[in-house]
Order: sequence, then structure tokens, then C-alpha cells
Amino acid sequence: MNSIEIRELTKAYGSHRAVDGLTFDVLPGRVTGFLGPNGAGKSTTMRLLLGLDRATSGTATIGGRRYLDLPDPLHRVGALLDAQSAHGGRTARDHLLFLAAAGRMPVRRVDEVLEQTGIASVARRRIKSFSLGMRQRLGIAAALLGDPGVLLLDEPTNGLDPEGIIWIRELMRGLAAEGRSVLVSSHLMSETSAFADHLVVLGKGKLLADTSMAEFIDARSTRRVRLRTSDPIRLRVALAREGFELAAADDGRWTVEGIRAEQLGNLAAREGIPVLELSDERASLEQAYLDLTADHAQFTATH
Amino acid sequence: MRAALPTVPSLHSEWIKIRSLRGTLGGLIAVLAATAGIQALTAAAIGQAEEGSMGSDPLFAAYYGISFGQIAAMVFGAGAVSSEFHNGALRTSLAAVPNRTRFYLSKIATVGVLALLTGQVTGLATFVAGQAFMGQYALELGDPGTYRAVVGSGLYLTLMALFAAGLTAVLRSGTVVLSLLIPFVLLVSFVVGEAAGGAAQFLPDRAGQLVVHSRMEGDLGPWTGLGVMALWAGAAVLGGWLAVRRRDA
Repeated sequence: MNSIEIRELTKAYGSHRAVDGLTFDVLPGRVTGFLGPNGAGKSTTMRLLLGLDRATSGTATIGGRRYLDLPDPLHRVGALLDAQSAHGGRTARDHLLFLAAAGRMPVRRVDEVLEQTGIASVARRRIKSFSLGMRQRLGIAAALLGDPGVLLLDEPTNGLDPEGIIWIRELMRGLAAEGRSVLVSSHLMSETSAFADHLVVLGKGKLLADTSMAEFIDARSTRRVRLRTSDPIRLRVALAREGFELAAADDGRWTVEGIRAEQLGNLAAREGIPVLELSDERASLEQAYLDLTADHAQFTATH
Repeated sequence: MRAALPTVPSLHSEWIKIRSLRGTLGGLIAVLAATAGIQALTAAAIGQAEEGSMGSDPLFAAYYGISFGQIAAMVFGAGAVSSEFHNGALRTSLAAVPNRTRFYLSKIATVGVLALLTGQVTGLATFVAGQAFMGQYALELGDPGTYRAVVGSGLYLTLMALFAAGLTAVLRSGTVVLSLLIPFVLLVSFVVGEAAGGAAQFLPDRAGQLVVHSRMEGDLGPWTGLGVMALWAGAAVLGGWLAVRRRDA
């Protein structure tokens, strides 16, 4: 019911394909990070899903039905597309009131989401006086209004202060834990890794990865251990016997490629070599993500 | 009936949109204020100076204010639609009411009903307030053509609001529509209408205003004139519907 199905979705503007043959699912119960550089087609995909733009080919459905065919769309899907998607001359409350009226919701819901998103005190101010962070909260309030099972949030952390970022992170995780599908776009991997369980990565309109966060980390980061020891000579010999190489790092520590801390710890204990510090070192996610999207850019450049 | 039911919430939503913006609500109030107010002020100033001081056609003279009121009607109609093109407001609206025909027709219906109610009040208020200052030259309700003018002037203002609303949906900008329409009704139609006899009588404002004339000079009568105006408004509304249905939001 609450899943999103994207099938062979394509949106062409002339000869440029903003979205190019995309196929993936967004499943309930987890936060799906929707990643890609600016212009990769994330926002276009979301607009196609909501029927705001017309797909050139392919389908985008919610629980098997097009958004247009949902009898009660605001109760099924909540979307934050762009913090600017509101008329500046209205008050925040009036903005939510006309949405609530369209979705046959009681006025009480409007006051509830205003409280939930922390903008109740400015509800009767005109939206044009709002900071980007307040507009973002209003957009999230609008998305939550119908208590929907599917949430589409396009760059929700834009303009939020650190406190707001932690709030939205916890909100998203909570919504997913309640069994909702949460699709959150971002162009920052470091940010997305803080809340996403699953990743869908786009580059130039094409699908680059559709994987769990853990798999992405495992597959994309080379295994490496960082350590400090008082006896590097014996450790080097012991490691060499197992086929590993001890390499000096710049800060007086050592690194070993292709091994895990657990494995190295056992080996050192067996040999009686003192190890003063030992940790797994993951290649940074941001780097893995940049490598992925850069690969793709190269691929298209030579095409 | 089943198809009509989901339209009730979207009509309610459109009414909230209109009443929550100063520009659109103000435009609606200005229709009454400008038409009846200017009529009364002008009548008080020059109405009793001599017979025909406000124009040779006494019925048209009783609706002198409509030239100003129609601009308020355009501002209202254009504003109600153009507010959707302000930032990405349309995306929010269409996410709430994804059926574009329902969305557009709800908006047009709300604009039409509000303009009609305001127009009818304006039609009567303009006649009564204006004639109160005309002394011996005053018309009375019941004189030939007066009821037609009271009702017809309200319809004229409604059609003008719908004409502007439809055009705004086509051109996606209230500013563009108003900067085309206001000079048109104030200057072009006036100048062209005086010069050329034939085709100019079919221009929307000239044809529509026949409903408040007591003497007809061209081929059109008061109601056929209003009918021609209705065709213009209908074409604009239809064009707007096609544009809203077809374009990406």
C-alpha cells in the first residue's frame, strides 16, 4: 500500500533526458536516501511521481496506482517539494487551511501540525516574512497534514539550523519506524548517511545504485585497519606471514590494508605483540559516493 | 453526482485561497466600491447640471462607474488565478487536487460565483446610489431597461472577471494580463470603437456594455451583446483549461 514503484521512468526535454529509464522501489518501514549531484533528476522524479510533470514514458505509482488516480491523495502521500511552494501573501495557517479543506481534514489537524513542526507561534504571520528554515518547517507541516503513509521530502534540511536538522532526522526515522515509506533527496552523502537505511543514487538521470546503506558502505569502502604498536618489527613479520603489509601512517600510527580489526587483534594476541590502539577505518562515505558519481560522469563523457 | 462530490472540498479550498489574500479579496470589494462609489460621486458633482450632463444615454449614464468597476473585476479575476503562479504555489495546489480539470473548474466557479454575487449587489447599489443624486433627471427602477441594466451590469462584471481569469491561466501572469486588458478597455477599445463601426462592436467590453444602454446603434441588442461578451469569456476560460491541463506545473 505504502510503497513507491518507479518503472522505466523517462522524462525528456527535447534531446536532454532529465530522467532516463529509472526503475526502483521505495519500501515502507525505512528511510530511503535519494542521492545525486544537482541536476541528477531527483526533483524531476518526485514531480513525475506527483503527476505535476508528465512522463515521456514509464510509470511512477504509489501502491500500484498513479497519484492522479488516488481518491484521497493528501492522506496517502505528503510531499515537501520546494520551500518556496507557497504564496508569500498568505499566513502559514491559511496556507495549511486551504490544503486541509481540499483534503477534507478538520481544522484541528492544522493546529496539530503547526505545533508538531514548531511554527505555531508564527502561524498568523505572512509567509513572505519567514526565514528559509521556517518555510521548510511549513512545507513539512503541509506534508504531514494528511497523516500520509508515503512521504516525499526534497532536500528537507535546506536552511535548517543544526537543531532543526537533528529534529528532522529524528522525525524521518520515527515516521519510517511507524511503517511509512520515506523518500528523502539530498546531494550530500554525509548528511544522508545520518538517517537513511537505504540508498538510491542517481547520476544524469540514470540509476547508479539501489542498495542498503550497509551494503553500500561494505562494497564501496576498502577495508583498512589503523593501529599503534610498540613492536612494529615483529608485527610486520607476523602480518607478512599472513599476506598483509604494515604501512606507516603519517602520525606515528600504522595502517594495514584488507584486514579487519578483529582479525588483526586476534593475530597480535596469538603472537603476543602489544597493540596500543586498534580501529577499523572506513573510507569516507562521501568519497565512495563521489567516486560512484564521478565514474558515471566519466562514462558519459567518453560516450 | 458521484463525480461532483469530490469537487465540494476543492471549492471550499478555492474560497479559502481567495479570502486569505489581500489582493484578491480587495479586488472583489473594489468592484463594488469603484462602480457604485464613482457613480455616486460623479452624479453628485455634475448629475444635476443639465439634462444629459453625464451622457446622452441616461441608462448608460447611470452606469458610468462600470468603466472603473470593470478594472477591479479584472484585477480580481486575474489575481485569483495568478496567485497560483506565485513561486511554486501551483505545485502545492495540484498536489492537493491532482485532477487538473477539477482544480481549474473549482477555481473558475469560485471566481464566477463571488463575482456574480458582488456584481449583482454592485448593479443595484450603483443604480440606487447614482440616481439618488440626479434630482429631476433621475431614472426610477421600473423605467424601460432599468431592471435589465441592474442585472446585466452584474453579469458584465462577472464575465469580465472570468475573461481575465481565463487569460491569466493561458499567459500564466496576472501582470501581463492586466497590462494588456486595462489599456485595452480604457484606450484601444474606446478609440477603435469610435472610429470603426463594424467589427469594433464585437469587442468584449463594447458588446457587453450594450446591456446598460437604452439605445442600440449597431447590429447587437443588449442581451446579444452580453452573449458576445460571454463568448469571449468562455473562450478565455476554455483556453485556460487547455493550458492548465497540458502544461507541466
